[in-house]
Amino acid sequence: MLESVFLLPLVVGLLTLFLPVRLGRIALVVTALLHLQITLLNWLHPFPSNFPGFFGSAPAGLLVLLVTSFIFVFISLYGIFYMKEQEMQSEPIFIGCMLLFLGTMSMAALADHPIVLWIAIEATTLVSAPLIFINRSKKALEATWKYVLICSVGIALALLGFFFITLSMDHAGLDVPLTFSSLNTAARQLDPVWLKTGFIFILIGFGTKMGLAPMHTWLPDAHSQAPSPASALLSGALLNCAFLGIYKVHTLMVLAGLGAFSGSLLIAFGLFSIVVAGIFILHQPDYKRMLAYSSIENMGVIAFGVGIGGLALYGAMLHLIHHSLLKSSLFLSAGNLVLGFGTKMVAKCGNMVRLMPKTFVAFFGGFIGISGLPPFGIFISEFMIVLGAFQTGHPVAATLFIASLILVVAGFAQIVTSMSFGPCQEEILVQEQILRVVPPLALLLTSVILCIWMPEALYQTIINAITVIGGTIHG
Amino acid sequence: MINNIDVILVLILLSVLLSLGSSRMMTLIKIMALQGALVSLAPIFLDQHSRLSSGGVLFFQLMFLIKTALIPGLLYMAVTKISIKREVEPIIGYHASIFTGLGLILLSVYITQRLGLSLHGDYAVLLITAITTLSGGLFLMMSRTKAITQVIGYLMLDNGIHLMGMALTKHSHNLYIVEFGVLLDLLVGVMIMGIILHNINRTFDDVDTMYLGQLKD
Repeated sequence: MLESVFLLPLVVGLLTLFLPVRLGRIALVVTALLHLQITLLNWLHPFPSNFPGFFGSAPAGLLVLLVTSFIFVFISLYGIFYMKEQEMQSEPIFIGCMLLFLGTMSMAALADHPIVLWIAIEATTLVSAPLIFINRSKKALEATWKYVLICSVGIALALLGFFFITLSMDHAGLDVPLTFSSLNTAARQLDPVWLKTGFIFILIGFGTKMGLAPMHTWLPDAHSQAPSPASALLSGALLNCAFLGIYKVHTLMVLAGLGAFSGSLLIAFGLFSIVVAGIFILHQPDYKRMLAYSSIENMGVIAFGVGIGGLALYGAMLHLIHHSLLKSSLFLSAGNLVLGFGTKMVAKCGNMVRLMPKTFVAFFGGFIGISGLPPFGIFISEFMIVLGAFQTGHPVAATLFIASLILVVAGFAQIVTSMSFGPCQEEILVQEQILRVVPPLALLLTSVILCIWMPEALYQTIINAITVIGGTIHG
Repeated sequence: MINNIDVILVLILLSVLLSLGSSRMMTLIKIMALQGALVSLAPIFLDQHSRLSSGGVLFFQLMFLIKTALIPGLLYMAVTKISIKREVEPIIGYHASIFTGLGLILLSVYITQRLGLSLHGDYAVLLITAITTLSGGLFLMMSRTKAITQVIGYLMLDNGIHLMGMALTKHSHNLYIVEFGVLLDLLVGVMIMGIILHNINRTFDDVDTMYLGQLKD
């Protein structure tokens, strides 16, 4: 049954809270592998849902689920070796919350009922909060407080947005079950004014969680203070789930004939996020914060692509996949750097190429990828988005988009070069280990492979997710 | 003739004003318990909800229990543990806060009229109460510095959204299991916030959010 996809990690997660550490680590990896397997099986032969009013496998949700499940396997493997080096105050809680986090994210990916989606996304906030303040430092506590409060209020507004969508049903005298799939078929009959109001509230609510500027203020703090495996999950998986919430409502808007309205809002928020991220990345003193701002930038790129539509929409979906792979890889490498240098300050790191050559390969590779250079996938996705923007007659937006991307790359390059080749201390605290370098490298490799060969099922699912709202691969 | 639902809604409005004007934590928590009770009782007195299914009875009992006992209980535990009695320096003073609260009510009346929803009788007052509670919660979060008051503000915001859902959506959409999920999220949320509060207090010796200002660009 479909629900096993999220019930498995939820149940195991609750159990591991009470298991001894060693057993918990095994449970983490085994569950991650099993979860990937169930997800893949569900891709091949979609399971029937036991609660069809609440859950279902929509193509966009399947995509997010697969990405989440895939990177979780590597993050959990890395996590085990990371936890061996890093003293953690309460490791069972960390492992348990990682699994609960996976479970709630899978639930969000499979939700078909708007309020169930809302419940799942709010639950992701709650179970990921302990991951951030696990070390109970002052800064981590501050970051967690901001995260929980800002996201909870934001998501509460999204609930209000869903009430407005229900109101738009009632106003039109429509009597269909409250699920995304049935709303989509009846979209034309919905009351447009309340649907628009609902979309604005949902965009602001889930946009807070997705990290769109100007609601992004919690994101750099939370991503930089969390232990690296948790940051990788936050950035690579959680932001996608929040995006999925916006995407589903955007689909509804397009089907209701209000695509221009929601599209232009997405373009505006997307562009603004990229510009803000570009400004803050320049001379950023903390490299994990830099990665966090880069996540804001990439979420902006995705929102921008979805707003443009057409070829750019396909690009945005590709971007979602590759950003998750590359950014989680970068955060894992950053974890090695934190262990090695014992600091998150760029100024105190240097000479990575000699001190930590393997990590250097992974980190630098990730940098190349996230900057949009070949052979990594972001090159293709950003190219498609730019092309799509010009084709659909958004030359100004496209130019602004390119200019901000250059700003981001410049800031990023300056930091990475100074960390890799700059002068620095002679010794590092924890020697790098091949087992902690393989997972980030594997994630990078997947991004390269997906450029050369994309499985038919994956391609078909992306197409299924975007054709409903006019996305296409043929520009 | 005195209408039951109107009495409840007016009491909710009063509880919003009271919470804006009180400085003692314990009083605030008692007000929240009262507000939770009123909010969970309100749907029973709305005409549309007069016939309850057995699932509905169970749900309302659970909601009453969570809103009036569990959540205030958690807050009570948090307050006694961190031994904080009162909000010393609010960003906006108490008199000004109450005045703002009155302004919020007027604003809500205006918004409700402008929405053009053609609500009948009770529902118009319900919507006014909902918007006031919602914005009152937001205001409380912004104008107080103690972390615990911000949690209370969040709860009030949530009560407002709950009332809003009651006013705007037809009862036929509300599945009890889904509503229960929302409620569970709220309960766990308050629990997690309580744990973070406890940790903040242990690390900083205070729960003032003024201390939480190290992370910035």
